[in-house]
Amino acid sequence: MSQSPAILVRGLSRRFGAKQALAPVDLEVASGEIVGLIGPNGSGKSTLLRCLAGVVRKDAGEVQIDGVTLAGDGVNVRRRVTYSPGEVNAYGELTGAGQLAWLLRGRDAETLTRASGLSQELGLPLNKRVRTYSHGMKRQLLFAAAVAPKVKVRLLDEMTEGLDPAMRAGILDRLRADADSGNAILLSSHHFGEIDRVCDRLVFISGGEKLSEESPESIAERARGLASLEYPDLPTAESAYTAISELGLAAEERGARLLVRLGDEDPQAALARLLAASDLPAPTSVVYGKLPLADLYRELYGGDAC
Amino acid sequence: MERTLRSYLLPSLLYALLLEAMLAAAIIYWPDFEENIDTYGDILPFESVRKMVESISDTGVAAYVNLQHFYKACNVLGTCAAVFFAVGAVAGEANRGTLELWLSRPISRTRMLLERYVAGALAMIVPIFLTTATIPWLLEQVGEEMSLSGLMLCSVHESIFLMVLYSLAFCLSTVTSRPMPVALGLLFVTIFQFSIYLVMEWTHYSWFRLADLDDFQSILRTGSLDASICVPLGVANVALLGAALYLFHRRVP
Repeated sequence: MSQSPAILVRGLSRRFGAKQALAPVDLEVASGEIVGLIGPNGSGKSTLLRCLAGVVRKDAGEVQIDGVTLAGDGVNVRRRVTYSPGEVNAYGELTGAGQLAWLLRGRDAETLTRASGLSQELGLPLNKRVRTYSHGMKRQLLFAAAVAPKVKVRLLDEMTEGLDPAMRAGILDRLRADADSGNAILLSSHHFGEIDRVCDRLVFISGGEKLSEESPESIAERARGLASLEYPDLPTAESAYTAISELGLAAEERGARLLVRLGDEDPQAALARLLAASDLPAPTSVVYGKLPLADLYRELYGGDAC
Repeated sequence: MERTLRSYLLPSLLYALLLEAMLAAAIIYWPDFEENIDTYGDILPFESVRKMVESISDTGVAAYVNLQHFYKACNVLGTCAAVFFAVGAVAGEANRGTLELWLSRPISRTRMLLERYVAGALAMIVPIFLTTATIPWLLEQVGEEMSLSGLMLCSVHESIFLMVLYSLAFCLSTVTSRPMPVALGLLFVTIFQFSIYLVMEWTHYSWFRLADLDDFQSILRTGSLDASICVPLGVANVALLGAALYLFHRRVP
């Protein structure tokens, strides 16, 4: 018997005035899975998360979270999820402990104890007023409130935005462990590195529509005919570009890096021929069969990384 | 509720102290006022105000207290309090960027809004009742007396009147993210309404006709609230609260 997904979305749409913020979107997230939402600013990532949390009312469509159908003002769903918004604003006059208690109102007392413990592990001074906290500390406080409740689904909007690399790594590790314990996490982010690191699946969104859904396998398939050649400087990369073009291969310049399309027939042989070409400057590194997310993003959206 | 109550407590206390100070000053001044009442009647510029003084001259300290406490202090300060306590309820959260956090907690929107509504309403109304309760004692100090029950009925009438403005400001708060322009706009309209009350030709267009000296004197005389005023005000209140709930349920962070 197949288990129903932790998050099930069918035909979810939302319009703000004349703007279709969310075209009918379908989505499934299984228990134990981390799905990354990727898209440029204004693409509908936050609207999707807000609709799922019942913070914004949907116009149409069906949402089921942890087996419960989203209805009315969404309180039935919010009891079964944690939602952490992208904006970091808090009540400066409250202490960290007071802010946590405020955030976790409606949850049980144990949740507050867990959140306080986690905040202390993260080094947050809970007795100090939130107005003295840095941006990163406020973000960590929200993180503690988002992961403390014992729920099966977490909706996290740019959870690691503004954090330093060490803090980000710590939070990502905790998220991975949380998912490994069976929770479903839907995470929006602009950081390809973290998405690549923790997400099991990626959903690309643009103009409120789901553009593409990628798994590690589908990304590998897309990367099969691509090679990335890194050069020490731009002039060397430019001369390499000329040499590659003369061999009849298509390439795109990404600064001092070239993304070469090797063709679908026998890409490995094409790569061998390319590297053996006498007029090709020697690259400092060659990556084959792995498509960096930034390149996939550029391929899908035709622009630079978000 | 804890943060909400705390944020209303100090302003409410200040408002109560201000009301009490105005009330005490007015009552202490009563013997002098009574002595010179005819002179005041001659020098006051507006006919409407002269009529109020005449009413005091005819009925004594009760009209004076109604004028000073309910018509002047509670109407003026109460209006400011109603706007102040209501307008930031939702718009204040949006303005400081905490609305989404507030809405993302596992609490129904109806409960969220009603908690704020009740907390603000209590912060506005309780000082009126508390200060009114001190009137008999203050009057004793100047050798006068008034019945507390009649004064409490006047407080109920004043509260119902102010609640309409409170509910209006509260309703507007659910649709805006900028509390300050709404507050200033409402206060401007209120000042305008207060001004036209003083002009005999326009006085009937002022909403302060619904809580003026005649109304409070009538309550003291009959010993009951005027249903022809209180019922429509109550209905308006319920309608505005219903509209606020409807709009808040559709509010986007």
